[in-house]
Amino acid sequence: MEVGWLYLIPLLPLLGAAFNGLAGRWVPKSWVYTVALVVVLLSFLIGFAGFVQMSGEEGTQFHETVYTWFAVGSLHVDLALSLDRLSGALVLVITGVGFLIHLYSVGYIDEDPGYWRYFAYLNLFVAAMLLLVLGDNLVAMFVGWEGVGLCSYLLIGFWFDDDAKAYAGRKAFIVNRIGDFGFLIGIFILFNATGHVDFAGMRASPLPYAVAMWAAGLLFLGATGKSAQLPLYIWLPDAMAGPTPVSALIHAATMVTAGVYMIARLSFLYVQAPGILALVALIGCLTAFWGAIIGTAQNDIKKVLAYSTVSQLGYMFIGVGVGAFFAGTAHLITHAFFKACLFLGSGAVIHGLHGEQDIAKMGGLKKYMPHTAITFAIATVAITGVLPISGFFSKDEILAQALNTSAFKFLTLTPDPTGPRLGFLGPLIYVLGTVTAGITSFYMWRCYLLTFHGNYRGPEDVHPHESPAVMTLPLWVLAILSVVGVVLVLPIHDFPWSWEHFTDGLFAHARGGAPGEYLPPLVTYGIAVVVAWVGFAGAWTLYKPARNIAGDVAFERATPRLRRALVNKLYVDEIYDVVVVRTVWRGARLLWRVVDAAIIDGLLVNGSAQLVAAIGALGRRFQNGNVQRYAAVTALGVAALVYLLLVRT
Amino acid sequence: MGFEGGPLLSLVIFLPLLGAVVVLFLPRGEGGLHKGTALVTSIVTFLFSIPLWLRFKPQVRGWQFEQKADWAPSLGFGYHIGLDGVALLLVMLTTLLGPIVVLSSWKYIQDRVKEYSIALLVLETAMIGTLAALDLVLFYVFWEAMLIPMYLLVGLWGSERRIYAAVKFFLFTFVGSVLMLVAIFWLWSDSSRAGGARTFDYVSIAQLSGALPLQAQRWLFWAFALAFAIKVPIWPLHTWLPDAHTEAPASGSILLAGVMLKMGTFGFIRYAMPLFPQAALDAAPVIGALGVTGIVYGSLMCMAQTDMKRLIAYSSVAHLGFVMLGLSALSPEAVNGAVLQMVNHGVSTGALFLLVGYLYERTHTRDLAAYGGLAKVTPALAAVFVVVTLSSIGLPGTNGFIGEFLILLGTFVAPMGTWSLPLLGSVSKGVLLSVIGSTGVILGAVYMLWLVQRVFFGPMRKAATHGLPDLSIREWLCVAPLLAAIIVIGAYPMPFLAASQIPANDLIARVRPRAALLPRPQGAQLMVPPGDAR
Repeated sequence: MEVGWLYLIPLLPLLGAAFNGLAGRWVPKSWVYTVALVVVLLSFLIGFAGFVQMSGEEGTQFHETVYTWFAVGSLHVDLALSLDRLSGALVLVITGVGFLIHLYSVGYIDEDPGYWRYFAYLNLFVAAMLLLVLGDNLVAMFVGWEGVGLCSYLLIGFWFDDDAKAYAGRKAFIVNRIGDFGFLIGIFILFNATGHVDFAGMRASPLPYAVAMWAAGLLFLGATGKSAQLPLYIWLPDAMAGPTPVSALIHAATMVTAGVYMIARLSFLYVQAPGILALVALIGCLTAFWGAIIGTAQNDIKKVLAYSTVSQLGYMFIGVGVGAFFAGTAHLITHAFFKACLFLGSGAVIHGLHGEQDIAKMGGLKKYMPHTAITFAIATVAITGVLPISGFFSKDEILAQALNTSAFKFLTLTPDPTGPRLGFLGPLIYVLGTVTAGITSFYMWRCYLLTFHGNYRGPEDVHPHESPAVMTLPLWVLAILSVVGVVLVLPIHDFPWSWEHFTDGLFAHARGGAPGEYLPPLVTYGIAVVVAWVGFAGAWTLYKPARNIAGDVAFERATPRLRRALVNKLYVDEIYDVVVVRTVWRGARLLWRVVDAAIIDGLLVNGSAQLVAAIGALGRRFQNGNVQRYAAVTALGVAALVYLLLVRT
Repeated sequence: MGFEGGPLLSLVIFLPLLGAVVVLFLPRGEGGLHKGTALVTSIVTFLFSIPLWLRFKPQVRGWQFEQKADWAPSLGFGYHIGLDGVALLLVMLTTLLGPIVVLSSWKYIQDRVKEYSIALLVLETAMIGTLAALDLVLFYVFWEAMLIPMYLLVGLWGSERRIYAAVKFFLFTFVGSVLMLVAIFWLWSDSSRAGGARTFDYVSIAQLSGALPLQAQRWLFWAFALAFAIKVPIWPLHTWLPDAHTEAPASGSILLAGVMLKMGTFGFIRYAMPLFPQAALDAAPVIGALGVTGIVYGSLMCMAQTDMKRLIAYSSVAHLGFVMLGLSALSPEAVNGAVLQMVNHGVSTGALFLLVGYLYERTHTRDLAAYGGLAKVTPALAAVFVVVTLSSIGLPGTNGFIGEFLILLGTFVAPMGTWSLPLLGSVSKGVLLSVIGSTGVILGAVYMLWLVQRVFFGPMRKAATHGLPDLSIREWLCVAPLLAAIIVIGAYPMPFLAASQIPANDLIARVRPRAALLPRPQGAQLMVPPGDAR
């Protein structure tokens, strides 16, 4: 259905960004806050009204062509938006969680002189993110895709006078651009094969297998950049240099899930490339494990949460990778609630400790900041799944889908059609994912216990205090959402709020047919609960309140090498630095010195000039104006001629 | 079209020259008066060029604002000018940059102001004339006339190594043009083939030259192409550029990057390719490959620089590599993208040189090692620099994205045939060139964001002293139109793309007449079919 108001949803935050960016410095502070909050709230309300209207009837989709952006040759790119159940739900998450984080930011950033800049970037981010999910073609989506990357860059490097922070922002942008390179080529391939860049047009034309594989694979490269998956996840932990509410909004709840959204949106493409789906699931699984084990040894509270995000995003990719697009996106939504809550909680802690981020120097904070402690605990329950609230079911659904999937049964490892099949991949992912769930429970409870229980271990002149209501209110809302979000993911078929039911018919079906059943659901739930409690028990043994940080010491003593490697993030940054970064920069310098300066400019350009000059110099000797020498040369010449003509003949 | 536009175009061409004559008769020593006259002249020129834009009909095929008068009929050359959409875009770019250029070095140039003002104005006339000329002699006269004022700008008002840079610039470009002159004479002598008198008229020659034997076309194409390739510059003919840019005053750099480099690519679109279509089609993959080399190589060179201006100069090599890639692909998307990218590069690199000029006026150094933390002292300058940087790296929403995207997409789908490569097998040339060219998207971000961080972020270093002034009103006035262009073209590029549509299609139809018959490479032969398990 064509409507005429969708453009308002991203436009309002864009106007807010323009106002705060251009005028924010000169107007009173309260104006900046009001404008920034009101535009996001209005977007939320419009999105909400639209969502209610649209979701009344299954299959309804609001569509709007704002204008023809550019059209050349056979390429036609509209600035077109569409609101369906998937993009509608995400609009609500972005503007809803976004609004809460804007509200929280008022308390968080109030004392910083750059507050107006901060809100301009934050508004701009919301606008770009809304365009990303609403965009009805790959190019419009790409605008949002790169736009959120820009805001991420600006906000990570928000305190730009610190070189390390500015570097972290730049690193994020460049790693993302490596992914975007894949995204771009993916667009080209799809346009080349279908003649369209809009989703409807691309869906209408079936693709040759090779084309689908390459397009899906390259777009997935983009997703590994934006959504911090192996091998491009390295920017996300560094991105914690930004203000904490930014980490909550951009690097946990919304932007980093864009890759998952993109794959779900392009489900019609990905089901045509089952091999790439398997790769997506595998990368997701490995990333989930990888992030979780590094998370066990981090002492910076934000780094723990960052690796946790990397890991949880991995789960989402498992979900979409096994063809259960609803499960991946459901976890996207529940994760947005509890991870935003965790990040904002960590922000409240850091705020209350005047900038301290090291959990070794925290402890016992539940006494000083009870709201933060309780909400943090609720969100930790949600992510670890020790009790069956939102995160438990959304994660379990993903793992159950992986275990039971039929999507890989017909895939072979080699081009030989009779070769070994990939059917074992689903159960393998299930096992590793379940182990990861246990590790998740361990590192999250470790983080919670070290932060809020035991004795306060910080310096004595720092007096921890609870944050103002403007910050604790969003914490409570998000904590409640983490609990009641469970209604989206309750495993009751035909439950009216069920996300699976709600998105029926929205996603394409993976080849291979409906999932089978290895284990009955009750058994997988049982396993999930046991694993979560085992992780908790491990954390409790090592880090129970009385022990304070003795747990880390014990950990270190038990496995010194492993622990040190984990503390150092498995040396991945160092390896990349030597293998890629330095090589390219040194190579560039070498190329400049040897090829540009020495060969092209030195030898060819200046060399030819010197050659001309040398010939000139030689000629000049004969023109030196010395008559005696002229006479001598003439005489010599005559003598030579005489010799040649007379004597030789 | 006839005289429909009246002498409007002539007026725009010669107004700056008129201003130069006025300056010539002004008393020496009145610096402000000279600069003021130059400024007023360039603003008036811009105002007169606005009706060109408004009255131009992009949907009409053929020359607009055409004017034709005999000059030396016995020799076959006349005064023949006119615009197509491509030339119009570049004329508008030139007249827009005119006042900005005059203002850019307002304080910096303090000696020989009179000569300086004259040089700028003569240069503007020469550049507009080059774009408007429809007679080969007229074209050549304007083309060479650009050289002298630019040589003087670098050689007289440049920095330490200005003489070396100026001579290098002059020799490089002059060597190229001489061969082109020979080719022009060849075309003239051949132009009586159809029975008429010999002529230098572009329109008449264009009707004949397409039918020349391939061998002749090749010689002529490369004679023209060499002149243009040096101007672009295409790798490996680029080494004059970093020197000239680095030594030139800000105004010279802006004109050099903003307009003069585009004369090379314009030459390919207007002369080398349509006049010798078969040779151009043959050469297209080679030119595309050189363009891609320019993108990657130029970007890597940027990463090795320690001098700010040199870095931006090398970034021009990369950006113009994109333009050449788009032209060589000869698909509608790519060629239109290339034309837009010419405008984009003029706007964004022009703005970069303008901003670097601002920095240099404040700190008197171009050495990156001295910079750091400037955003603390000059926040507005930093913000503007970041916006221009985003345009330069092609962020969606800015002008740069539209150009790069169209070029890369258009190259990807271009029916250029295949190369057989080791390991990869038979690979579509378009796909390969597009994929390699796309790495420029990554590399561009690498060097530009590095530059931004180096100069503006981090702790304050030597060059960032407290009390450095932020942007003045004059400086805002200069940069504001360029910022507006970045946003407007990025958000609503259709009016600009519309202008180039017909000339681009004509070019493609002429050079690759069978393009429509060739199937598009299905799904890109780059792809070795993976194990299809179905």
